[in-house]
Amino acid sequence: MFDKTFITATISLAALSLVSLATAADFSAGSKAKKWNLYGEEKATFSGKVVDVLCELSGDCPANCGDGNRNLGVVRASDNRLVLVLKNRQSAFNGATEDLLPYCNKKVDVDGLLIGEDEVVKAKFYMVQFIRVVGTEKWNKASLWTKRWAEKNPAAKGKGPWFRRDPRVKKQLAKSGHFGLGVDFDKKYIEENE
Amino acid sequence: MTIPLRLTSTLTLCLLAMGIFLQFATAKTPAKIVEIKGEMIDTWCYFSGVMGDTDATRGTAHHTCALWCAAGGIPVGVRTESGEVYMVLKYKGEDALAPTDTIMEVQSEIITARGKHFIRDGVNYLVVEKVIANDGIQYLSHEDYDSIPPFSAPKKPKKN
Repeated sequence: MFDKTFITATISLAALSLVSLATAADFSAGSKAKKWNLYGEEKATFSGKVVDVLCELSGDCPANCGDGNRNLGVVRASDNRLVLVLKNRQSAFNGATEDLLPYCNKKVDVDGLLIGEDEVVKAKFYMVQFIRVVGTEKWNKASLWTKRWAEKNPAAKGKGPWFRRDPRVKKQLAKSGHFGLGVDFDKKYIEENE
Repeated sequence: MTIPLRLTSTLTLCLLAMGIFLQFATAKTPAKIVEIKGEMIDTWCYFSGVMGDTDATRGTAHHTCALWCAAGGIPVGVRTESGEVYMVLKYKGEDALAPTDTIMEVQSEIITARGKHFIRDGVNYLVVEKVIANDGIQYLSHEDYDSIPPFSAPKKPKKN
């Protein structure tokens, strides 16, 4: 019924359409994300499903997307791409897992920034700034991290940002110093830079 | 209105091809066992440029910031000498964001790791099963960049 060339051309055309759809799509329409002026930054709002990345890749799926111990992402509905979320909207070295976890395996709308223009790694990563369940109106700010940290670290309560008080950070700094070269190196650095 | 047979056939084949394509795209990603040598990095600062370029956001200059980001739940990666980055999903049996010291202890260090490698949508993912070698911190970036960000530099302890 069909000649071989016709079938090959049709399949190639369909595959090419999908690839170009995935790589050239613009998700900025309607985004209310705040600019950060980062490498390759693009405002991006889209719908998708919140997933435990390792579960999505391998089928190793603990309850509740790993309960906060795993990297989470969003499988974008429009092109099925797994978008790894690196960051929430806070500006104090905070990841996105605490903000995505309440939506584990749920369909959501997200708003934020796609970033990255690396010469070797040809991929974009995501900073989530707002999130809501699909079909709801109210956007929630993705800024839960410090609240959750305070709940988990009541003994670290005090003045200053969390990263100055975090027990895991303090332990490593006490062991290997601020440059990873030992505490004696730190002492010498302080003497030379006073 | 009659739709020509050739157009109908083309559309049918297009839909079929898209279906096959999407089926492959949604299937679980096959893993390969690999051995990777590279530096443990904070992927947010590295890819976003928020603290400077990719040389400034590695090594000794950025060590404290890497600790802050790892404790903050930002994905940790292994960056090879050629610039490939493998997002670490598990490290020696622990989930990557487990609140332990395991992944904190190796920030900025050069490790040789064996594990499962997945690739999806242009991103490399790694389940580190075994660390074969740890060469420690090798990249002395503080010699060029001092401390990144500057407020991560060590300071004289305050007297009470």
